Amino acid sequence: MKGRNADIHENGDKWEIQLRKGGLELAILAALWDGKLYGLEILRRLEQGSDLVVSEGTVYPLLSRLKNLELVVSEWVESDGGHPRKYYALTPAGRERVREMSVMWSRFSSSMSKLLAPVARSK
Amino acid sequence: MSTAVGTQEQIESYLSRLRAGLRGLNERDAQDIMEELRSHITDKMAMSGAVTPAGIDAVLGGLGSPEELARQYVTDEVLARTQASRSPLQIIKNTFRWASLSFAGLFVVLGSLMGYAVGLLLLLWAVLKPLHPRTAGLWVARNSTGDISISVHVWAGRVVPGSRDVLRKPCMNQWTGRLQN
Repeated sequence: MKGRNADIHENGDKWEIQLRKGGLELAILAALWDGKLYGLEILRRLEQGSDLVVSEGTVYPLLSRLKNLELVVSEWVESDGGHPRKYYALTPAGRERVREMSVMWSRFSSSMSKLLAPVARSK
Repeated sequence: MSTAVGTQEQIESYLSRLRAGLRGLNERDAQDIMEELRSHITDKMAMSGAVTPAGIDAVLGGLGSPEELARQYVTDEVLARTQASRSPLQIIKNTFRWASLSFAGLFVVLGSLMGYAVGLLLLLWAVLKPLHPRTAGLWVARNSTGDISISVHVWAGRVVPGSRDVLRKPCMNQWTGRLQN
């Protein structure tokens, strides 16, 4: 039998997974703000620039989805290593979307911080 | 030398399992995805330096199982295409594909098939009722014990005497009567 505490923890973990998933789309689009990158560079940027734990198996399909939504475009570029790499760049629609999402994110996070202030104080 | 061959086999086996999972996508997209992941694996191996079976396992493990990876690509793609399409044939094809991928999809398929079946039956009735008023339709009978029996006919079959013809409107009596005389 699972204890009540274990259930609470499990739900908390599920919530965290959903939260990360929701943030990942914005994180990827934001990583492309300064210019085109290929998959592995995007992954590295996400890991270095944040403590987001990102799985490679999630990022590649998500990139393909963003491409289908026409928020990014891709092109193959020959590398020094001798094999081509698939670079992604924001489309004008993608750029617009990052701006919108970033505003929404800031608004959401500041209202959340206000709500959470009593919890933070009592710690 | 045998190690290099072994590791190459590991990679090819991973990629061919991925390819099998991507068969719902169009050929060009699937090819593009395969090339991208091949390039990712090559770069990761170059970064890790030593080419050992354990090293390859770690690189491939980072991507997750090929079946799960393919599922993520295909589910997204199929749903996007289904939303964009209004052709019933395309929707049925895609929901079937969805059903093979998840339990939720299975229920959607069963539900939509039932919907299509009921729709077809109603259409058939609409055509047959004016032509064969006594052999096409829906009859409800209440027997002596109070049980209700419902009988559905499309073309042939004997109607229980005394049952109520649900699809016949009173105004049709005169009309169908004339047809039969």
